[in-house]
Amino acid sequence: MKAGLSTSLALHALALAAGLFTLSSPRPLELTNAESFPVDIVPIEEIAQSVKGDKKAPVAEKPAPVPTSKPDIVEDAQEVGDNKIDLPTPPTPEPKPRPVETAEAPPPAPDPKPTPTPEPEPEAAPAPEPQPVPATEVAPKPEPKQEVKPDPAPEPVQPEQPKQDMAALPDVAPVPQSKPQPPKAQTARTPDRKEPEKPREEKRRETASSSDSNEKSVEDQVAALLNREKASGGGAKRSEQQAALGGRQTTGAKLSQSEMDALRGQIQRCWNVPAGAADAENLKVSVQFRLSPSGELEGDPRIVAGGGSGGIERTAAESARRAVIRCAPYNLPSEKYEAWADVIVHFDPRDMF
Amino acid sequence: MEQMALTAPGGDHSLWALFWQASWVVKLVMLGLLGASVWTWAIIIDKTLAFNRMRAALNRFEEVFWSGQSLEELYRSLSERKTAGMGSIFVAAMREWKKSFEKGVKSPISLQNRIDKAMDLALTREMEALESRMGFLATVGSAGPFIGLFGTVVGIMTSFQSIAASGQTNLAVVAPGIAEALLATAIGLLAAIPATIAYNKLTADAAKLGLRMEGFADEFSAILSRQIDEKVPVRAAA
Repeated sequence: MKAGLSTSLALHALALAAGLFTLSSPRPLELTNAESFPVDIVPIEEIAQSVKGDKKAPVAEKPAPVPTSKPDIVEDAQEVGDNKIDLPTPPTPEPKPRPVETAEAPPPAPDPKPTPTPEPEPEAAPAPEPQPVPATEVAPKPEPKQEVKPDPAPEPVQPEQPKQDMAALPDVAPVPQSKPQPPKAQTARTPDRKEPEKPREEKRRETASSSDSNEKSVEDQVAALLNREKASGGGAKRSEQQAALGGRQTTGAKLSQSEMDALRGQIQRCWNVPAGAADAENLKVSVQFRLSPSGELEGDPRIVAGGGSGGIERTAAESARRAVIRCAPYNLPSEKYEAWADVIVHFDPRDMF
Repeated sequence: MEQMALTAPGGDHSLWALFWQASWVVKLVMLGLLGASVWTWAIIIDKTLAFNRMRAALNRFEEVFWSGQSLEELYRSLSERKTAGMGSIFVAAMREWKKSFEKGVKSPISLQNRIDKAMDLALTREMEALESRMGFLATVGSAGPFIGLFGTVVGIMTSFQSIAASGQTNLAVVAPGIAEALLATAIGLLAAIPATIAYNKLTADAAKLGLRMEGFADEFSAILSRQIDEKVPVRAAA
């Protein structure tokens, strides 16, 4: 048994030693910088940092104040709007019908006045009242209540007034009878009469528009039905104003997280953290460098932060700078060159030890 | 201007670092499994050697036994030194035979019974010696992965707790803890796989050796029975 145990111990020691040597530094995976499906968290800056403009434009607070004129005016355009193409889309109706009704209400109001004037009889007044109530004011229940309340109130006043008039001027009896009636009708009836007339006006408009659309071809109608776009405001950029200084794309390009990781990995490979850095806390170094579109380093990398006066700190900063120089050229997506043309990398050796 | 933070490239991922970073429960599991592995291999080596020795001894004994040498001489030569396997069965049977004849045989049937019992006892003892410590191999083979898995689960639990405490979900933070926890399962499997294979192999070998010895015991019993039948009536008559 002793022989077996000692042999076993020896074998295990051997296996552990081999494991320590072979497994001590597992080779990091060699990943090619291929992004099969770029996943990124899109921040709001992507939209907020809208920088579309012309790279060659001079720097100016505002574009040159050339008066805006709209060229390419389409001939025989039937539609109104900023669109370059004549779209048969009807202008989207603005959903503000109720304020318009109140605004249009006053003009019809004088019309009813002449019609009641021929009515000399006081009995005619109650007759129009029931008609508007079922026609228009079915839905709003509070309004009829309000109308009923004012009606009894003026009515007692009406008999009193004629009595006073009768007492004062008995000869001109028909004239005062007709005069007080219209003011009563205005206060009590005008709101009723305005409302029945509004729907009529709307109907007239609708019939007019439908008759217009009938003239158009069926295809245009279908296209107009299908097209839900607002007819106005969607035109191409036709301003003659000089473009502001900016990038070629609409939004500011940004490296995705994986692309950043790729650049990080490329630099990390060449970074030899200086040994003997006891207080690694203070060794944060930020290096700024410019890259050419081919990924080559342009100019010398600059140490932006860190690399203080101490000897270790300076060596750390130098090591970071050397890492950036040694790893050039970098393999980065060329279509986002604007994002990585100027890079700042923060070196933090804290995890190293 | 693109800005990014660059942390130092990975820490120490050696086996020793993995072991040293583990929590004490996982360390205990790993050490226990390592000990089990050492003991397993000790048993495997020991048993393999013992079985080889036994096989050689059986071959040698059979050669001598069937060489036509007289049983008395063989007994005299064997009883003086340590015997194993068939030799001890033979010695046990011969000792009983001799003792019985020194005191005079009363009944041939009881003598036969006693000899058979002595041989059975010797055979059982031999088998016991052959199969000793095999239970440990079976236990390690079946329980090793579970013990390793226990260490892994505890390790992953603690590493997830520390991840939750640190508030970082970076893969570089998650991976070392899981790797360290998986080391426990690896060691468990490392101990269990050889143990299971060796247990099956050694059990089969022991059964084969036991069968051979049993066969010899039966054969020898038959020979002795013939001898008793030849000798006892003569003595009774005399």
